[in-house]
Amino acid sequence: MSNLLVWKEKLQSFYAKHSTYISKAVQFLTGLLLFGMINYNIGFMKTASSVFCTVGLAVICTFLPAVIMTLAAAALVLVHFYALSMPIAMISALIFMIMYIFYFRFTPGKSWILIVSVLSFGLNIPFVAPIVFGLLGAPVWIVPAGCGVIVYYMIRFVKLSATALKSSGAEAMTEGMLSFTKQVLTNREMWLMLMIIVIGILVVNAVKNRSVDHAWKIASVSGAAVCVVAAAAGNLLLDEMIPYAIIILSAVAGAAIGFVLEFVFFSVDYSRTENVQFEDDEYYYYVKAVPKVGVTVPDKKVKHITERQPESGEGSAENAIAAASENAGQGAAGYPGAESERNTEEILLTRSLSKELGLDQEQQNENNIQ
Amino acid sequence: MIILHREDVWKVMLDQKKIRLMTKMAIYEKNYGKEDIKISGYYKKDYTSLNTWATLIWITFGYLLVAALVFLCGADALLENLNFVKLLIIVAMAAGAYFALLIAYGVGSGKFFRKKHAQAKQRVKKYYRDLSRLEKIYKKEYRNHE
Repeated sequence: MSNLLVWKEKLQSFYAKHSTYISKAVQFLTGLLLFGMINYNIGFMKTASSVFCTVGLAVICTFLPAVIMTLAAAALVLVHFYALSMPIAMISALIFMIMYIFYFRFTPGKSWILIVSVLSFGLNIPFVAPIVFGLLGAPVWIVPAGCGVIVYYMIRFVKLSATALKSSGAEAMTEGMLSFTKQVLTNREMWLMLMIIVIGILVVNAVKNRSVDHAWKIASVSGAAVCVVAAAAGNLLLDEMIPYAIIILSAVAGAAIGFVLEFVFFSVDYSRTENVQFEDDEYYYYVKAVPKVGVTVPDKKVKHITERQPESGEGSAENAIAAASENAGQGAAGYPGAESERNTEEILLTRSLSKELGLDQEQQNENNIQ
Repeated sequence: MIILHREDVWKVMLDQKKIRLMTKMAIYEKNYGKEDIKISGYYKKDYTSLNTWATLIWITFGYLLVAALVFLCGADALLENLNFVKLLIIVAMAAGAYFALLIAYGVGSGKFFRKKHAQAKQRVKKYYRDLSRLEKIYKKEYRNHE
């Protein structure tokens, strides 16, 4: 766990250093995924569905605010719908307009929620959205998330019934428009998913804000469970066919992403929780204080110690011994204590070197001669 | 907009307080500056009422769009066995929904824009305070140079 926390700190400092590039890269990848998905699913206009257009739009949107990406995606969808049938493009434009008037006019900055919502449905992990939005946001996020669900099902419906919707005559166009409106607004699977997303976000957000231990984990798991139960119930009651594999896998993925989000945004140490009580003139206070987990990244400094290379020949060894004995002499003359250990080592080194080189015998011989 | 000339950069490099102040102000100008100054040009009541009225007009337009979609979607069911009483009920329901929406958005947008104005005003106040601090620092520097 401490290793993970150290990694988290390292990642945070890395992000702090390169935040501009990282956020732009994320924006570019999101754009690429979003425009690629739109062009892959409803690429009715050949020019707009080319790789060049996808990458170009992603690059342009990388350097502009998120709201521009949403506008560009809406425009791309409308262009493709127009290539298929003009009335469908008109109805879709009306739906986009209604979304703008009732919500995005007030908070255009929240338009990224719609993008994430559409992407989670497009990637077949729909229940990741309520858990992520419930943990990171507020209950009001149900509105942009719901708009995302509507947009996804609108695109899906057009993709599945493209041949039926393609019409040229005036009467056929009117019929197509009526059928599209009816199908989009009365799609039971869409309303079921919308309900699940709304309930999921509200449950996750409500549990997350409780003061119980491990609130984020409980919120993630309960959100995933609620989504699975609601989807299964909807399947049974409405005879809808949301695949159970998608239901379970996306719930598991959602819970896992919830755990990751908790680790990144809410790492606290519940074992050191303090419950304190105090009062003033008007209130009694029951306060639960949970300390944050903070780990300082060990600052490792690599110190390069270059070993002094002994010069070749006997003379050098003698010098070394002389230096060592000199140091030993100095050490002996110096103060005892910490220095004495070093001096002992030096004396031992001097003796061992003298023995190895036979210098001690020479000295003995000289002494004998004298 | 604060522009630092090259020679000024060298001068202020030693003055950390001044750099912090200028950075803070530049970040504010980049993120909120223009809009906040525009908002704070209005009185709170004027700003709120103007935007609430604009919202109500938008909501009316949005409601018409929703009504058109609903009509397109359920025209058959609505027009089936249409008589005066049914028409009256439909009109009453539509009017009720419209007024409910107007009241909800009127009250909500009133609160929203009041809060927005208050926040903008507070930020502008802080910005002007920082500007006067900066001016004092400049004056002090000028006196020291003299």
